[in-house]
Amino acid sequence: MPDVPAMRRSVTWNRWSGVLFVAPYCAFFVLMLLIPLGIGIRLSMTRGDLFGIEAFVGLDNFARLFADPVFLQAVWNTFCFVLITVPAMTVIGLALALVLNRTSRLAAILRAIFFASTVLSVTVVALIWRLMLIPEGGLAAVLARAIGEQPVAFLSEQALALPAVAVTTIWWGIGLPMVLFLAALQQIPRDLYEAAALDRASKTRMLFSITLPAIRRTIALVLVVEIILQFQLFGQPHLMTGGGPNNSTRPIVLFVYETGWKQWQLGYAAAAAQVLFALIALAAMAQYYLSSRKDAA
Amino acid sequence: MRRMLALLPLALVSACGNPDARTELVIQRFFGACQAEYGAIADPGKAQGECGIITAMINEFEAGNPDIKVVENTVFWPGYDQLTAQLAANGPPDLVTMHSSAIPDYEARRLLEQLDEDLAAVGISPEQFTAAARAGVTVDGKVLGLPIDVWAPLWHVNMNLFREAGLAVDGKPVLPASPAEFRAHAAQFRQRTGKPYLIQITNKDFAAPTRIFYAWMLQQGVPLFRDARHANFDSPEGRRALEFMKALYQRGDSARNLDYAGAVSAFLKGEGGVMVDGTWMVGQFDAASGNERSPLFRGYAVRPFPFLFHARRVALVDGHNWVMPRNARRTRAERAAARRFLQYFAANDFQWARTGHFPAFRAVIDGAQWRQLPHRGDIAAITQIGEPLPKFVRRQSPIEFIVGEEVAAAYTGAKPVDRALADMQRRANGILQSY
Repeated sequence: MPDVPAMRRSVTWNRWSGVLFVAPYCAFFVLMLLIPLGIGIRLSMTRGDLFGIEAFVGLDNFARLFADPVFLQAVWNTFCFVLITVPAMTVIGLALALVLNRTSRLAAILRAIFFASTVLSVTVVALIWRLMLIPEGGLAAVLARAIGEQPVAFLSEQALALPAVAVTTIWWGIGLPMVLFLAALQQIPRDLYEAAALDRASKTRMLFSITLPAIRRTIALVLVVEIILQFQLFGQPHLMTGGGPNNSTRPIVLFVYETGWKQWQLGYAAAAAQVLFALIALAAMAQYYLSSRKDAA
Repeated sequence: MRRMLALLPLALVSACGNPDARTELVIQRFFGACQAEYGAIADPGKAQGECGIITAMINEFEAGNPDIKVVENTVFWPGYDQLTAQLAANGPPDLVTMHSSAIPDYEARRLLEQLDEDLAAVGISPEQFTAAARAGVTVDGKVLGLPIDVWAPLWHVNMNLFREAGLAVDGKPVLPASPAEFRAHAAQFRQRTGKPYLIQITNKDFAAPTRIFYAWMLQQGVPLFRDARHANFDSPEGRRALEFMKALYQRGDSARNLDYAGAVSAFLKGEGGVMVDGTWMVGQFDAASGNERSPLFRGYAVRPFPFLFHARRVALVDGHNWVMPRNARRTRAERAAARRFLQYFAANDFQWARTGHFPAFRAVIDGAQWRQLPHRGDIAAITQIGEPLPKFVRRQSPIEFIVGEEVAAAYTGAKPVDRALADMQRRANGILQSY
């Protein structure tokens, strides 16, 4: 006969031990995310600064935001930036991972080199790229003059400034997708490739029939992570362009920072932050939904 | 052994404590960090530049006041984000450097201590301040800080290029007296030197284009702000000022695509005739004029803005001040230490004025010692005509950024002048009407 009370105790303990394992995370989630989110939503319906709320204004801040051309341009800039950087980082990160997914010493060195930029602070990255791109004595200007061309003012031309910030970001952030893809590639069983080789499958066929389907969850993860990260663009335009020229590189987070800290419009800034939160949540959920549907199919 | 191990954490915690019995005075300042060069210098007379001089002054104060421990927090210019956060967290420093233009924001929220009595206790009277310095720290009759200087944007002139362009007489620059003359001088300069007349900042750091725009508007005799809630940029005077500057830029009479560092570097390399920048650069440019290898060698002059529009002789000025943020936890001893610090800075205003800024004390500005410093006689007129923005205008710093951004957009043709004026007006009014 099994010892029923002992089994019951074991089940109860297992249940509680599970709760204990997730409790610290839940506590931090509530304290550091849910409560600040609630405070932020409340702030977005007020007029005030860091030293106090002056009035409850309902949805006035949101109405003002959607009539503010600077904010609307910031939303557009942010979307453009995400559209440039996320696909580029995913494709380049995957390409690098495919090329460097081997055991040679050279591959290890190159992996370290490509990942190295990721550990730099945004201040260093922005400074390096600013010095490279300025038309007076920057590396790009020197190279342009060396081939007899006039230097291009990447950070002063309205059409070029946001792509320049995007290139800087791709250089800075390419390490993370590369490492995620490398980890995924190393999980694919070797025998699948051996079987494909016996069937004389081409490299392209192996890529599309074995590799990409095997890492589709990682691709989805990289896309979601990068969408969330790139929507939060701040440091690079703050340090490289100040949001200019003519508001062409001002993203939503820089708008929030300027409005809240420089202009002391905390309620207005909080409203912009809620819009950003909604955009990120929608984009990430849409991506998750699409990738889940593919999995189900 | 076990007992010793048990006592070890206690010993470590004790070692981390502060055994220093001196009164701690926490000061927070901008002007940069240069401890490597000036950390051991306690004689301000041996220091150069804003950073060097203030570091040496603080060192000298600490050496002369061994009962006070100065904790110095150097912040990235202008440091108001940190200060605002410190005030919101109830942990502000004892004294902070603050621009006169920022004082109304903090005073409106009652975040600054009134210092009339503290200054009187150490023998300082507001009567001793220059008019502009006094206006900078006074709100509703209350003195909220110790002014240490008044500064103004100036025209820094490369005299070597001016001579080459035929724009120098008796070793002095010939500056334009009307928009038409400005255009003629700039064209002559470009024709004879192949370089732009003006080096100005139009990229990322937008304060400089704003100051030029403000200057031309004020010279037309109109206020920059109609009242506390309304700017006056979108006006015939604003349009005249901006169209004039845009035409200059479009004709190639202004350097392009320069941020602050790039503009200073371009001027030092002799790539243009005039750089618009503040009093703080007088010392550095003057030093370059003594360097044989510099394009400015024996060829630097500095002047107030030329008067192109003659409705009013006025120069926009701002100032640097020490202010005391409110802190209920500040002890009497700490406040007394702060008073002595202010007393020291008041007594050494001349040393600070060596940076290029105008002294905040009339006795210094009237004294022969200051006038004997290089170029001071050439810019002293600003002490008579200098005016800060009215104290009813809050959020001057973000408005300055917005105006500069729109001015730069008009310069480059990214926006028509009318739209840039309308946008700067709308954005500034949005801020002025947000509190």
